[in-house]
Amino acid sequence: MTDTSMRTGLQQGVSAQSPTAAPTRRRRPLDERGKWWRFVVVLIVTIIAIVPIVSVLYLSLQPGLGSSATGLTLENFGLVFSQTQISYWLENSLLVTLVTVVISVAVAAPAGYVLSRVRSRLVSSYSLVLFVVQSLPVVTAVIPLFILFSGLGLVDNLGGVIIVYVGSTLSVATWMLAAYYDSIPISLEEAAWMDGLSVFGSFLRVVLRNSLPGILSTAIFSFLLSWNDYLVAVVFLRSDVNYTLPVGLETFFQQNATNWGLVMAVAVIMMLPPVILFAALNKYFSVGGIGGALAGR
Amino acid sequence: MSAVSEGIERARRGVGAGGSGRTTPRRRRRPTGGGLTLLLFALPSLILLLLINLYPLVYAAMQSVRSGNLINLGPFVGLANYRNVLTDPDFWHSALFTLIFTVTGVFGSWAVGLALAMLLRGKVPAGGVFKVLLLLPWVVPVVVSATSWNWLVATPQSPLPEFFSLLGFDNVLFLSDPTLAKIVVCVFKVWISFPFMMMMMSSALTAVDVNVYEAAKVDGATGWQSFRSITMPLISRSTYISWILMTIFCVNDFPTIYLLTGGGPTNATTSLVVLAYRTVFQDFQTGPGVAIAFLMTAVLVIVSVVLYRQIAKVNIE
Repeated sequence: MTDTSMRTGLQQGVSAQSPTAAPTRRRRPLDERGKWWRFVVVLIVTIIAIVPIVSVLYLSLQPGLGSSATGLTLENFGLVFSQTQISYWLENSLLVTLVTVVISVAVAAPAGYVLSRVRSRLVSSYSLVLFVVQSLPVVTAVIPLFILFSGLGLVDNLGGVIIVYVGSTLSVATWMLAAYYDSIPISLEEAAWMDGLSVFGSFLRVVLRNSLPGILSTAIFSFLLSWNDYLVAVVFLRSDVNYTLPVGLETFFQQNATNWGLVMAVAVIMMLPPVILFAALNKYFSVGGIGGALAGR
Repeated sequence: MSAVSEGIERARRGVGAGGSGRTTPRRRRRPTGGGLTLLLFALPSLILLLLINLYPLVYAAMQSVRSGNLINLGPFVGLANYRNVLTDPDFWHSALFTLIFTVTGVFGSWAVGLALAMLLRGKVPAGGVFKVLLLLPWVVPVVVSATSWNWLVATPQSPLPEFFSLLGFDNVLFLSDPTLAKIVVCVFKVWISFPFMMMMMSSALTAVDVNVYEAAKVDGATGWQSFRSITMPLISRSTYISWILMTIFCVNDFPTIYLLTGGGPTNATTSLVVLAYRTVFQDFQTGPGVAIAFLMTAVLVIVSVVLYRQIAKVNIE
């Protein structure tokens, strides 16, 4: 809403309430009022909130013991690459995360369409199953999957981890996309069907084409879940070169608890991709959709 | 393709409202073969759901009534695992901590998130920058933030204990004292979760028309009154949803606790999930471990359903 339209709206509201008020008196719009004290409060909260994150960055730039460097230095990052298997961890994390994101969007996109467009008992119970599954602790699922996967050679294997991640992102990804499709009017598809397109054709050309923000939201969500996960990775990945970054960092931290510079350098490398992704795509990400999808059916 | 976009354009204008001479049926008519397509759409998701989610559930249910280990199911023991778990004081201790952790996690993060969402709703200088910075605790991997919090609070030389000693409290060991460790873990959880709540509440608040507040103010409502009677009813649906989701996140949360304290000192911060994990992967007793997880899930599902019903009520109103 622009300032002018807001002001006129307010004036109308005011004059309707109290006809005696001078019509020429201009009130400042509500969202302008008190902006400086709000700024100060938000500033203080933000500073407190990011202390732990800034500390990570700051410590990673400190010279280590016996170093000749003074002031801030990038030498920890060089040391980390020569002293740990971080190049493997980084590669594994990237691979696992990207494959998970692609598969979970590819599976959830059509499933979410069914959830959004079909009204039947079967679909409602499917939605309920998704909800129940989402509330189960990963710890319970991990043990049977561990036994199943050890028979299939999927333990200490990135493929096994990817399968578990896809499974655990599935519910929320499906909901998020269903919620987004709900906002696309069915009349668009009907028009496409009139023009002779099949359901699949209209899904590809009309629905998906108009769902980029929904798809991006889902992709970001899957990215965060698989990039940040610790539990599944620590159970399934056994050897040093197969670790993803969270397990690598935790193991390295246990062994070098006092060498904060090196530990934090690994931490910085690990937090940069999600932070950059979020800073760049923040405006596309909305968690409001999760709630709408959950309560809508 | 141009026919399609033309069709879309027509639909956008309001489904052929006059003009083109063609009458557009108001009823949805799916092309033939659509049903099969929809089935194929749902199939991959159903297969994955069966394999990764439902199969483990059934297998775990079997494990919980047997005395086995990570490799073998073991002999059938009936409800002995459940009985043993329910008579174990460690279980009740963990249940209590899970409750504390969940209640503070849910309401703490909701209160902070809602407050920030309301502060950032109007015009705030550099508001966009704050919105991104405030999401960081949620975006940064838990492994990283747990490491950082360890550095901030764990040892007497850490910054926070140093700060407290300036205030006259010497040698405050935040993660070695049971009560302080509990508080730190709960604060850590609120810190991680408030950005999620802030996002949920921000999107709920966009639905609230600011002019309503102006009208209320003219009618003499105080800030608190307009919050109670305008804001709260309009965001109550999103609030219940966010509580459900956060309850699930908190009860099932393993890394936040495990990476910061490992469940210690001496079980003080052991939640049910951490207890289940330890019972299975450190004591190798799958039966009792799974039983703990199942009991916890049962309570969780009941709580979720109660809150879910509450949403349905709000929807009707």
